[in-house]
Amino acid sequence: MSVSREAQPIVAQPERRHITDLQRVARRLHRNDRVATVLLWGIGGFVALLFIGIIIKLLVDGMPALVKPSFFLGTDDADIAKQIFNTFYLLILTEAFLFPIALAAAIYLVEYAPQGKLVATIHFAAETLAGVPSLVLGMFGFLVFGIYMQLGISRLSGALTLLCLNFPLALRLFEEALSSVPRELREAGLAMGASKWYVIRTVVLPSAVSGIITGLILTAGKIIGESAALLFTMGTFSPANVFTLNPLIGSDTLTTRLYYVKGPGAGQTGLEPMQETALAAGIAAVLIVVLFVINIGARALGRALQKKWTAA
Amino acid sequence: MQPSRRMRLTDQIAKVIFFLCALLLVGVIVSVIYFIASKAFLIFGSGVNPLTFLFGTTWDPTGIGHMDADGNPVPYFGAGGLILGSVVTTLLSVLLVIPFAVGTAIFFTELAPKWVITLLQPLLEIFTGIPSVVIGFLGLIVLVPWLQQLSSPLTGGLATGGYGWGAAILVLFVMVLPTVISVSIDALRAVPQSVREASLALGSTRWQMIFKAVVPAASTGIATAVVLGLARAIGETLAVAMVLQGHRLPENLFSLKIFFQPNVNITAFIAQDFGETAGTAQNAYWTLAFILLFISFLFICISRYLASRSVYK
Repeated sequence: MSVSREAQPIVAQPERRHITDLQRVARRLHRNDRVATVLLWGIGGFVALLFIGIIIKLLVDGMPALVKPSFFLGTDDADIAKQIFNTFYLLILTEAFLFPIALAAAIYLVEYAPQGKLVATIHFAAETLAGVPSLVLGMFGFLVFGIYMQLGISRLSGALTLLCLNFPLALRLFEEALSSVPRELREAGLAMGASKWYVIRTVVLPSAVSGIITGLILTAGKIIGESAALLFTMGTFSPANVFTLNPLIGSDTLTTRLYYVKGPGAGQTGLEPMQETALAAGIAAVLIVVLFVINIGARALGRALQKKWTAA
Repeated sequence: MQPSRRMRLTDQIAKVIFFLCALLLVGVIVSVIYFIASKAFLIFGSGVNPLTFLFGTTWDPTGIGHMDADGNPVPYFGAGGLILGSVVTTLLSVLLVIPFAVGTAIFFTELAPKWVITLLQPLLEIFTGIPSVVIGFLGLIVLVPWLQQLSSPLTGGLATGGYGWGAAILVLFVMVLPTVISVSIDALRAVPQSVREASLALGSTRWQMIFKAVVPAASTGIATAVVLGLARAIGETLAVAMVLQGHRLPENLFSLKIFFQPNVNITAFIAQDFGETAGTAQNAYWTLAFILLFISFLFICISRYLASRSVYK
C-alpha cells in the first residue's frame, strides 16, 4: 500500500481499492497472456527450426553425393545403383500384394459390412497391428515367411512382411477415400438397377481415385523408409547378380544399407571411414528428397487425377 | 434373366473375396501374437528362472563372453538391463516430448498465422514418416560428438562417451515428436469453436481460454497422443541402436554418467544379435520380442480406452 493512497478521503477508499484490485488482476492476466504467447511462439519456432535444420543438415551433407551421377549409377560399394534397384523392386513387389488386398478389405468394410461387431473387430485388429513394433514384425516374418514357408531370407519374405506392416495404414487411407464418396452417387447407381459390385466398379472407385492414389503413394513412402522389418527378412547384403527380378534372393535396400554401413558393418565394408560416412550421408539425402517428392506429389497427383477421372 | 443372374453371381464372388481380404488382417495380427507367444516361453522350459530373466543384468545368451574353466560357453539370460534401458529411454524421451508437442500443437491450432501453418504442415507430415535410420545417422554424426564433448568432464574424457541413453533419448525425441504433435493437433481441432467463443465471451484472455477451456476439453485426446508416442518410442529400433552401441549395462547406475556411455535396450540388442543366434539363445530373443509386443499391445489398449472417453472426436 502506498502512502498516497492512505491519505485519500476515507469514503472513496473501498471503491478505489476495488478498482485498483481489478486493474491489477487484469494487468496480471494480460501479462500472463503475453508471456504465454511468447512461450508458445518460442516452442513452435523451436520445433519448426529443428525440423528445417535437420533437413538442411541432411541435404548439405549429402550434396557432394547428390550432384554426382556415378553415385546413382555406379555399382561400386560406394555407390547406390544396386540399392536403388532393390528398393524400387521391393516397393513394386510389396504394392503388388498390398494395393489389391488392402483396397479389397477397405471396399468390404465401407460398402458391404454391416456396422457392428465385425467391423469393430477388424478395426481393433488394424489398430493393434499398427502398434506392433516393426522389429517384432520383422522377426515374425523371419519365422513365418522365412522358415515355415521356406522362403528364406529373400525379397519375397521382405515384401510379405511389409504387407503385414503397411496393411493397417493402407486400409485406413483407402477407407477414408471410399467413405468420402457421397451416398447419393451409390444410391443413384443402385436405383438404376445396377448390382452393388457394378456400382463400386463404375461409380465409387472412379470417384475415390484421388484418395486411393494418395494412399498408394503414402504407403510407398513408408515402404521406402522401412528398415527394421527388413533386417531379418531380406538381409543386409546384395548378391553379385543383384539386377534380376528373382524374388527369392536376399538383398539390401537404401535404408538397410545405410544402417549396415554406419552400424554393424562399419569398418568391414571395404571402404575408408570417410567414404562410409559420405555414402551414408548420400543415402540419407536421397531418402529425404524422395520423401519430399512423395509427400508433395501425392496430393498434387491425387487432385489432378480426380479432375481428369470425374470429368471424363 | 441370364445376365442378371450372372451379375448376381459375380456380386457374390466379389463380396466373398473382399470379405476374405478384410479377414486376412485379423489373421495377420492373430498369427503375429500366436507365433511370437509360442516361441516366447520356450526359454523358461529350458531351465531359466523367469525372475532371473526379468531382473538379472547379465545378458549373454550364447555364452561366448562367459567361458567356464573348460572353455565351454556359459549363457546368461538376465534381460533386466535391456528392459531398464527401454523403459528409461522411452519414459524420459516422451516426458521431454510432452511440453514441446503440446506447445506446438496449441501454437498450431490457436496462434499460428496461415503462412506458418502452410510451412509446418508438410514438414510435420514428412517427419512423421522419416526413416529411423536417417535420424539415427544424424544422431551418430551430430549428437554423439556433441554429447561426448559436453559430458567429457563427467566421464573423464571417455572415448566412447556420448553414445548411450542420453543420445538415445534425444533421437527418440525427434522420432516421437511429430506423431504426438499431429495427434494432439487433431485433438485440439476437434474441440468446437463454440467452446472457445464461450470462454472468450466470459472475458477470458486467450491464455485463459486455451488453458482453462480448450486444453481440458481436449485432454483425453492429448493423453491418447502421449500414449501413442510411448508405443512408438518403445518399438523404435535402428535410430536407437545406432547411438546406443553398448554390450552391457554400465555399472555406475546411479550417477549422471550413465546417460553418456554405451548402453543397452531391448530393440538395439535384437537388431544386433538376433540374426546370428540359434536354438536356446534365439529363444531368449523371442521372449524379448514378446515383451515388446505385450507392452505395445498394452499401450494400444490404453489409447483406445482414452479415445473412447474423449468428449469431442
